[in-house]
Amino acid sequence: MSDRYVPVQWNPNKWLYDAVLIACVAAYILIYLNLGNPAADVTRPADGAIVRMRAFGTCAFFMLTAILCIGPLARLDRRFLPLLYNRRHFGVITAVVAVTHSTYVLNWYFAFSPTPRLEALLGANTSYGQLLGFPFEAFGVFALIVLAILAATSHDFWLNFLTPPVWKRLHLMIYPAYAAVVAHVVLGYLQDTKNPAFALVFGAAALSVAGLHLAAHLKDGAARRAKGAWIPVARPQDISDSRARIVKMPDGRRAAVFRDGARIGAVSNACAHQNGPLGEGRVIDGCITCPWHGFQYRLEDGCSPPPFTEKVPTYDLRLQDGVIEIAAEANAPGTPVTPLDVPEASDV
Amino acid sequence: MESAQTLLMAGQVYVWIGLAVAVVFLGWGLDRIDAKGHGSWMFRPLLVPGVILIWPLVLWRWQVLARENDNLQNRHRPPLTTQRLMGLGLVLAIPVLIAGALLLRQDGPLERPAVMLETAAETSSNE
Repeated sequence: MSDRYVPVQWNPNKWLYDAVLIACVAAYILIYLNLGNPAADVTRPADGAIVRMRAFGTCAFFMLTAILCIGPLARLDRRFLPLLYNRRHFGVITAVVAVTHSTYVLNWYFAFSPTPRLEALLGANTSYGQLLGFPFEAFGVFALIVLAILAATSHDFWLNFLTPPVWKRLHLMIYPAYAAVVAHVVLGYLQDTKNPAFALVFGAAALSVAGLHLAAHLKDGAARRAKGAWIPVARPQDISDSRARIVKMPDGRRAAVFRDGARIGAVSNACAHQNGPLGEGRVIDGCITCPWHGFQYRLEDGCSPPPFTEKVPTYDLRLQDGVIEIAAEANAPGTPVTPLDVPEASDV
Repeated sequence: MESAQTLLMAGQVYVWIGLAVAVVFLGWGLDRIDAKGHGSWMFRPLLVPGVILIWPLVLWRWQVLARENDNLQNRHRPPLTTQRLMGLGLVLAIPVLIAGALLLRQDGPLERPAVMLETAAETSSNE
């Protein structure tokens, strides 16, 4: 959290995350450069520039695969949440690796083109009407543009300026971009390679993205929208201390009902920073803490403690026949609501 | 080639407009719509590529914030349904693309790779 913008918000965890990531990228590139050439088809040995191009291209693919696996993994198992913490830096490094791949492509295949290199790339193959020999480069160009947009809009300013939902919609372009990368590989390198190892590893990686998204979808699908002006949530003692129960509201939004000892309060489930799932976080020092990036909000008014200025909507609560009920309509962000006081809940 | 030329020309025009928007927005507009940016300049160069790439979106948000038309409740409505649908789209697209490409291939990806039976030196010594 910060009350003013800085170029990059570093902390020891982010240093460690980025250091491990960059070390993994460097190790992958070095291993590929040493093993990639001997693994190439002996009838058509690859030039050094082509091996470097493939090293960065496959590295970008596996990095993008990892990025897309982190989200559903964190939903399926909380132990993966730390990977999600600095995913934006992961995305920026992936974009840099992908740009390096494209630079090798342009500077090798179009090095001596009489027309400008980009023009030659876009105009060399225009067989868009056929599948066999389809200009797979177009998929790569599309994915590269998307990665560039996502990397360029990764600063916290963009979240605040565009609003988290608009920013999220923009960043959902990662899905078509990944599909484009898969198409780029299967219509390009996979049509030509004689190396079965790459086909198997590539297929396993891409299908793991599909499988994890399906599993996360099935897990989330259990929640149904509630109906009525007041929605029953749970008995106070059924909510673990410092934890929340997430409720799907009639308007499609989600609310998080937290218990902090004997106090029970409810706020929007969407964090003001990146719309992270507040209800999957904990109450720490009296503040609801987002599991994604640690943004904090007071239970009684949904406001971040000073000097921070973030706010989330709050909800009215009532106790009816020993069951907590939540109002269907959200209050404006930062509206004070006296938490329910349920001393017997803290005795459990 | 003409289509490629037109496309690149359009891209250049888009980038030049984006650059002009970036200069005005980051030098003048940002301070008027975002209190967190006051007196903070070091982060602004990092925003230039973003403004260039999505300047139509920047202009839209700029005018919404300048007119104070922003609905604060909308900040807390994440596009969960869109995200789920796009995730499902990917679940369908990946196996279709992989299976389609393997069917399209003129020989399978698992055939034995070619093997060099003798080195170039052995070939020349035999001649």
